[in-house]
Amino acid sequence: MSNILIVAETQNGAIRECSYELVTLAQSLGGTVKSLVIGSGVGDLASQFAGKGGGETFVADDAAFANYSVDAWNKAIRAGVEASGADVVLISNTPQGWDVAPRIAAGLDVAFVSDCFNAEDQGGKLVCFRRVFNGKLDAQVTCGAGKAVLTVQPGSKEPFSGSGDGSTTALSVDLSGVRSKFVEIKQAESTGIDLTKADVVVSGGRGVGDPEKFPEVILPLANALGGAMGASRPVVDAGWLPHAHQVGSSGQVVTPKLYIACGISGAIQHLVGMKNSNYIIAINKDKDAPIFEVANLGVVGDLFEIVPALTAAVKAAKG
Amino acid sequence: MKVMVCLKQVPHQDAKLDINSDGTWIQEDNIKFEINSYDTYALEEALRIKDADADTEVVVVSIGPDRVTQALRTALGMGADRAVHVNDAEAFGSDALCVAKVLAAVAKAESPDLIFTGLMTDDGNSSAVPPMLAELIDVPSATGVLHTEAANGSLKVERELEGGAIEVVELPKPCLASIQTGANQVRYASLKGIMQAKKKPIDVKTAADLGVSDVASKATIDKVYSPPKNATADILSGSTDEIVSGLMGKIKELGVL
Repeated sequence: MSNILIVAETQNGAIRECSYELVTLAQSLGGTVKSLVIGSGVGDLASQFAGKGGGETFVADDAAFANYSVDAWNKAIRAGVEASGADVVLISNTPQGWDVAPRIAAGLDVAFVSDCFNAEDQGGKLVCFRRVFNGKLDAQVTCGAGKAVLTVQPGSKEPFSGSGDGSTTALSVDLSGVRSKFVEIKQAESTGIDLTKADVVVSGGRGVGDPEKFPEVILPLANALGGAMGASRPVVDAGWLPHAHQVGSSGQVVTPKLYIACGISGAIQHLVGMKNSNYIIAINKDKDAPIFEVANLGVVGDLFEIVPALTAAVKAAKG
Repeated sequence: MKVMVCLKQVPHQDAKLDINSDGTWIQEDNIKFEINSYDTYALEEALRIKDADADTEVVVVSIGPDRVTQALRTALGMGADRAVHVNDAEAFGSDALCVAKVLAAVAKAESPDLIFTGLMTDDGNSSAVPPMLAELIDVPSATGVLHTEAANGSLKVERELEGGAIEVVELPKPCLASIQTGANQVRYASLKGIMQAKKKPIDVKTAADLGVSDVASKATIDKVYSPPKNATADILSGSTDEIVSGLMGKIKELGVL
């Protein structure tokens, strides 16, 4: 791959770790790595990124970039693609990345592959790998001739931690005609349920099947183990439990001593919220459920038989 | 006000997934289909605007084979006014950019004030089409939206960020919002709605009818396959008593009792 442009992302005054993961991927693809940093007062961050694998780094620095706007970012990235002469554009699949990246591809009329966990140069062809059907299958996707824009799943590569030659170049961006207007960020409300402090989290998913089964089946096991009750996204979306119980990328990220997943198939959004738990037990009727890929101990079976029996055994053991 | 809602019909979430004979997708014969879960929230969001303002027209659009009629009937039964069905095998089998081009042609013909779509699809797990569609018709967009508030000339949306934080964005109309699951409580089609839906029009078109001639993919799926099992899980089997005793052994060892 001759020219790769990394669109780095800043958050809370720093370059996000997933941007360094893009460096690792870009280096594995070969070719010249260039980068783009967008923000207000981001000159120092851009220099830092340039010297840590970003290479020649374009800096779109403007007060108008103080907060994210899809139109402004679209214009900045298009300017960056043009200035860098990039053949491949790498963007992390974050709420910013998935918001703007497809617009770049459509505007350039080029190939787009979303949420890749890997990409390879196979004889000059860009071959991408991604999950489909909520993690039940993987797909291999090949980009045709011409440029390509990829979004990359955060956490799919080790962040690059070395250094390299880099420089920064100011990039001027015509910001006329920006329509989308940032209003404010509202932080997640504190709900009093802090799953991150629990030693044991017992979570239920769509397989629990019925809102009434949470207090009947899942909560008693959580209580018996002195832990907290979690849930996967579909449970919260259906209104079965409040958002405060949600474990995953848009909920809480937990690392308890013991995580018990009941009737959770293991969509990536859930896995990122619990896969670093010390020990994971998964109970699911589908032996092919992706949850078993992160579990230490698995039970393929009916949670309505196993969980109540386990609750009784825990209570008996405690006396 | 006119709201266009883009729907995809996808394999049912509990459908057994077998890979097709050339290995490029799943076997679609003899499985159940449903409206993509994200898209049901997009439709509900549009129907709520209609509930508040009866002058609103909700047009649902879907690309796909004959089976898609069923999804469109369901949407009409829930309260949408009419449907556009792009029944075109080539466009349906193409990539996100081609799908966006076909939807853009529909949007240009319809000139909606608002376009609602789901954030992503349950089958391809791609979230590319909505922003692409917005780019092609040159309107602003927002993705992963949990709340919308339509004012006179604009749409205020709340986007879901990581960890439950919310970004509030204002978009002048016309604009597009891709809706996240959980944004609302999706209604069911009533019996009366289903009866009325039978009389509502479904306009069937091909990509060529819409003036879209180039439907070739720029990104092609070579194959789909079961993810390599690097599973570390020890699987417990046996009677419930044996399984529980195995689990208890581990729980005691972890010292969490």
